[in-house]
Amino acid sequence: MTPRDSLAYFSGKAVHKTGKYLKIGYGGTWPGEIALKISPGILKRLSKSVGIGTVLVAGTNGKTTTSLMLKSILQRNGNTVIHNSSGANLINGVVSSFIINGSFFKPKPSDYAVFETDENTLPVLLKEITPAAVICLNLFRDQLDRYGEVDVIAEKWERALKLLPGSSSVILNADDPQIAYLGTGLKAKTVYFGINNRKLFINGIEHATDSLFCLKCHHRLSFEGVYYSHIGLWYCRFCKLKRPRPDFSTSPSPLPGFYNRYNSLAAFACALNLGIKNDTARQALSSFAPAFGRQEEFFREGKKIKIFLSKNPAGFNESIKTITGLGARAILVMLNDRIPDGRDVSWIWDVDFEKINPNIDVTVSGDRVFDLALRLDYADKKFQYAQKAEDALKTALSKMKNKETLFVLPTYTAMLELRKILTGRKIL
Amino acid sequence: MNYKLNIAWLYPDLMSTYGDRGNIICLTKRCRERAIDVTVKYITLETNNLSLPECNLIFMGGAQDRQQKLASEDFLRVKAPVIKTMVENNIPALFVCAAYQAAGHYYRPYKGKDIKGASIFDLVTVHPGDQAKRLIGNVAARLLVPSEIKGELIIGFENHGGRTTLGNNIKPLAKVISGRGNNGRDLYEGALYKNAVGSYFHGPILPKNPVLADWLIKKAVEIKYGKKIKLALLNDNLADLARKSILRKMNINYD
Repeated sequence: MTPRDSLAYFSGKAVHKTGKYLKIGYGGTWPGEIALKISPGILKRLSKSVGIGTVLVAGTNGKTTTSLMLKSILQRNGNTVIHNSSGANLINGVVSSFIINGSFFKPKPSDYAVFETDENTLPVLLKEITPAAVICLNLFRDQLDRYGEVDVIAEKWERALKLLPGSSSVILNADDPQIAYLGTGLKAKTVYFGINNRKLFINGIEHATDSLFCLKCHHRLSFEGVYYSHIGLWYCRFCKLKRPRPDFSTSPSPLPGFYNRYNSLAAFACALNLGIKNDTARQALSSFAPAFGRQEEFFREGKKIKIFLSKNPAGFNESIKTITGLGARAILVMLNDRIPDGRDVSWIWDVDFEKINPNIDVTVSGDRVFDLALRLDYADKKFQYAQKAEDALKTALSKMKNKETLFVLPTYTAMLELRKILTGRKIL
Repeated sequence: MNYKLNIAWLYPDLMSTYGDRGNIICLTKRCRERAIDVTVKYITLETNNLSLPECNLIFMGGAQDRQQKLASEDFLRVKAPVIKTMVENNIPALFVCAAYQAAGHYYRPYKGKDIKGASIFDLVTVHPGDQAKRLIGNVAARLLVPSEIKGELIIGFENHGGRTTLGNNIKPLAKVISGRGNNGRDLYEGALYKNAVGSYFHGPILPKNPVLADWLIKKAVEIKYGKKIKLALLNDNLADLARKSILRKMNINYD
C-alpha cells in the first residue's frame, strides 16, 4: 500500500470504529467510502491481501445467497474468506469489507475474497481486480429507474468480461440465454451450470420474462421447456445457437425454492472449479444456513415468521410458488419505494399475484400499501392492509393459529424494517 | 344490450417492460364489472394483422431498446398502417412510453440515424445526448383533454431519455403539476389525437387513473355501436387511496 493508501485505510478504520462505538448503522459502506475519497485506487492494493483468489458474484437474483454458500464451502475447506456479508455490494462496500476485516493499519491476509456485486458495479470492480472467478447468475428486469435495462447491463458485463485473462474463470448460467451468451469469445475459461430435468418444466411461459429473443440473430428463441421466467432449455431455430451443455447440473440444494437450486449449483460449480473437493462442497452446502432476509426464520407469539425477500417480478413469482409449495396459510406482502427498492413500483403489475391460493390469508403493508392493495384487488384477492410494518405484523399474526407460519414477502428496505422489529436491532 | 369488445395488445412480450400488463388487467376487469364481454387479442411479431381490424381498443406499451428495435421493423411495415387507419376512424388507443415515441414521426437518438416512426401522432422525439439526465420520477398532471374528463388529475411514474415535442395536429393531454412530462420544458404531458392517447406515464397508467380507463372503454363501445352510453360507476376507493398517498408524497393538495 502507498502512504496515501495507509492514510485512507486508517481513516476508514477510524470511521468504522466510531460508527460501531456510537451504534450508527452505516458500517457496511462508510469506511470504504471515506477510504476511496482519500485514495481512489486503493482497492487494487487492498486486493493483494487475498492469497489465492477473489470471486465476484453478480446477477439480479440470488447473489447474496450464492456468495454466502461459496463462502461456507471455502471455510469448510479450511480457508480464510473475506466477504461483504451485509449485502453492501457497491465498490464502497467491497473496500469496507477489507477495512472491517483487517487490523487498524492494514488488511488481514486471507485465502479468498467472495464479493456479491451490484449489477452496475461488476464492470467497475473488474477494472480494479482480476478475479479468479466471476459468477453470473441471471438477469431479470429490476428497478429500471436505478439499474437501467437488462440489455444495457448485459452489454456492460460483456465488455468487462472480454478483458479478463485466461487465468480467470467465468461461471455462467447456461439456462439464462443472455447469461449463457456472455461466454462467447472470452479469453477467460468458461464454466456452465444448468439444470437437466424435464419433469420440472412449467406449463407455458410466464409474463415476467426478459430474454426470449436470440442474442445472435434476434429471432424468437424456442424452448424445449421453461423452469421459470425465461430460464430453461433454449435454442434458436434460425441460427442454431443453443443452450451450452452444462459442466455442472446437480448439487445438493439445502433451501426450498427452485431458484435456490441455481444458487447452490453456481456456488458448487465455482468451488469445484477452484479445486475444492466434491465431498467438501457437498457437506458445506448440506449444512448451509440462509442469509439474512432470505428464508430467515423468527418466532413471535408462538408463531413462526419466515422471510422471503422479493424485490422484482421474477423473484416474486418464485417466492409465491415456493410458499405455495410449503403449504402457506398466511402471507404478509410489503412494498416500499425507497432508493434501494426502486422508486417505481410499476413492476407489481408483472407479478402473478393471481396465483396466490384463495385459502391463504393475505395482509399487505409498506410505504406503497395502497398500490399493492389495488394490485391485489385487480387480482380478485381478499386481503387486509396496514401501512406500518408493526401494525401489519400484528394484524397478520392475530388471525393465525399457534405454530402456524407467516410467510413474509418484503422488498429490500421493508425486509430491513421487519428484521429490525423482529430482532430489535439494525444489521446495516 | 350485451356489449362485446376486442382489445388489441400489441407486442405483449416485446413492448411490455415494466408493468404495462396492468393496463390490460385494468381494462378487462372494468369491462367485465359492467357486463361488457372482453377478448384480449395478443398481437406480436408472428401475428399477421388480420385480427387488428376486429379490435375496438388498442394498447401498446414501453420497451427496452433491443426489444423495441426487434418490434419496430414489424410495427412500421405490418401493423402501423392498419393502426393508423383505425386511429383515423376514431378507434380509441393508448400508446405508452416507447410506443408513444414510436407513434410519432421519428425518434432522434443522441448518436446514429433518426429512427422512423409510424406518424400516427404528429410529434417528434429527440434524445438530447448521453450526458442529459433521464426524466425519472413520480408525476401528477391535470387533463386538458378529452372534454368529458378535462380537469381531472392523472398520476404516474415517468422514466424516459427522449424529449417529445408536439406538432400542430395533436393536442397535449395534460398540464404537469409535479414532474417533467413530455420534454421538461413546456410542462405538457402526453398527447391526444382523435381518441388515441399517448403518455409517458409508463407501465400501469390506467389502474390508478380509472377516469382515463373508463373514458377509453366508453369510447370503444360508443364507436363500435354508434350510440352514446353511460358506464356504471365502480368502487374506486383503493385507487383513490393510492392516488392520495402519492399526491401527499409530492406535497400536492387534493380535493
